[in-house]
Amino acid sequence: MTETITRSAPAAGAPPVRQPQFVRRRRRPNSDAIQLRALATPSVIVLCLIGVYPIIYAVYQSLRSGSLISPGSFVGAANYKYVLTNGTFWASARFTLIFTVAAVVGSYVVGLALALTFQAGFPGARIIKPLLLLPWVVPVVVSMTSWSWLIGTGQGLADEFTHAIGLGDVGFLATPTAAVISVSVVKIWESFPFMLLVLGAAMETIDPTLYEAARVDGASWWGSTRHITLPLLRNVSFMTWILMAIFSVNDFPTVWLLTGGGPIGATQSLVVYAYEMVFQEFHTGQGIAIALFATLIAGGMAVGLFRFLNPGRRRVAP
Amino acid sequence: MTAVGHGATNALTRRRRRGRFIRLGLISVFAVIALVPIGVVVINSVLPPGALVSGGITLMHGFTLADYRYVLDKTTALLYFRNSMIVAVSTAALTIIIGAPAGYALARGRGRDLSTYSLTLFLYQALPTVVFVVPLFLLFVPLHLDNTLQGLVIIYSAGSLPFGIWMLRSAFEAIPFVLEESARIDGCSLIGGFRRIVLPNSAPGLLSVGMFSFLLAWNDYLVADIMERTNSIYTLPIGLETFFEQYATNWGAVMALAVFMLVPPVLLFMVASRYFRIGGIGGSVVG
Repeated sequence: MTETITRSAPAAGAPPVRQPQFVRRRRRPNSDAIQLRALATPSVIVLCLIGVYPIIYAVYQSLRSGSLISPGSFVGAANYKYVLTNGTFWASARFTLIFTVAAVVGSYVVGLALALTFQAGFPGARIIKPLLLLPWVVPVVVSMTSWSWLIGTGQGLADEFTHAIGLGDVGFLATPTAAVISVSVVKIWESFPFMLLVLGAAMETIDPTLYEAARVDGASWWGSTRHITLPLLRNVSFMTWILMAIFSVNDFPTVWLLTGGGPIGATQSLVVYAYEMVFQEFHTGQGIAIALFATLIAGGMAVGLFRFLNPGRRRVAP
Repeated sequence: MTAVGHGATNALTRRRRRGRFIRLGLISVFAVIALVPIGVVVINSVLPPGALVSGGITLMHGFTLADYRYVLDKTTALLYFRNSMIVAVSTAALTIIIGAPAGYALARGRGRDLSTYSLTLFLYQALPTVVFVVPLFLLFVPLHLDNTLQGLVIIYSAGSLPFGIWMLRSAFEAIPFVLEESARIDGCSLIGGFRRIVLPNSAPGLLSVGMFSFLLAWNDYLVADIMERTNSIYTLPIGLETFFEQYATNWGAVMALAVFMLVPPVLLFMVASRYFRIGGIGGSVVG
């Protein structure tokens, strides 16, 4: 093909000479390889500018003393030292851990219970399932607006309910402990549909003859769940845990819109702390250092998950 | 003997049927509780101004569209809606235009560079937005891209590209390579094969990537919060925030605008759950 000739000739640095047939045949897959890489180039450029450059710049800035408007001077590891010796940072790390574990465990337990119930079947399941996915679909800004009203104003439905059953003012977001619990519950509410969706889809791919065989052998529902469903869901479960952990570490709007990190910093996650450092305290370098710690955690989990999903693919690839 | 067997089967069927209704009951109770936060948004938005959902007296107020009328006539809500729509649709289009060729390269190409690229995409996807947003802000200010809808589209497209490319790759991988091969033998170029054979046969994949990137742009709060500074640029999440900054929050108006914001995603989701199988990633790693 003509493309093959024009493309291979300049690459060889020679004037366009007609090449013998066998060379062209041999070079054809190579030309395909070049064309395929050319197809990927626009995305590589965009991601270098909007992805790689900011990360490198972030590392550079974490080593400097500047703010958003002044470049500042080189301070070495001082920002990292400040962050690591700062009690607020460790409090944020602790909250991030609690929030993440609560989100993963809570949404997994709820999602798995729902997925198993749907698998067992009941009338109207086709109508109810999409409704249960709504907390995941509705924009987080909308659902946090609603939750703020429900539990954050002192006059919402939740407060009315606690008064009605004689608990009085609970102050869901007013005291540190209550706020940590409330934010975690809201996060579980927001996340369980993801688990239901992924676990439900995974259950549908399990070979139904396995269950029939188990039934013939007299296995109970719990027996086949324990010995067929759960073991087969092990890998997909691991994947959902890692993904949910990444989502939770990175989650800014849920916490920010609900509590703004308060009261007295009780629900300040690492990303919220980084945001406040940069945009409210104007310590850009320190804020970015905090963000880079969150990046390291999320990135580490992502690499682990990639290895898990692609075992040995590296060896096979030419 | 047969009678006993028959009776036992009947009891079993009855127990099974009862189990189905117990499950329906439990799930219904759970669904009603889980949907309260969404339900109150809708109900509050149609209650008369000043009235909010509460105990038993809600329905006595009757329903009205007064909050919607207020939001449409007295605020710039339509402008926010328009901005959000422009940004989200452009993001979806740009993600498909840039992502589809890249997805094709990963689906059909082999090599260390491509597998490294694939890992990089996966990793990029997992990093927190906060770490990107500050350098991007500093980059965009001298380029006059901060506080513009174009700037938002660029960031959102880059944000949705990695997952979009992954989704498109698996969509393209599902198309038999034989089709392209025979087209090549008939004289079609590689890019021609991609355009004439692969793309027309992967409409569901392209649409779900479009939807995913639309939703990412529509729902984002953090980037919008940092990049948008004037009312004429505000997208819905930031526009909604301005409703809170008034002296006394007008909850009816807030809820009406929130309904505007949740309708497009919910509509898209309803279409999606009708036409595509979502959650396919779960099925691919079972076992």
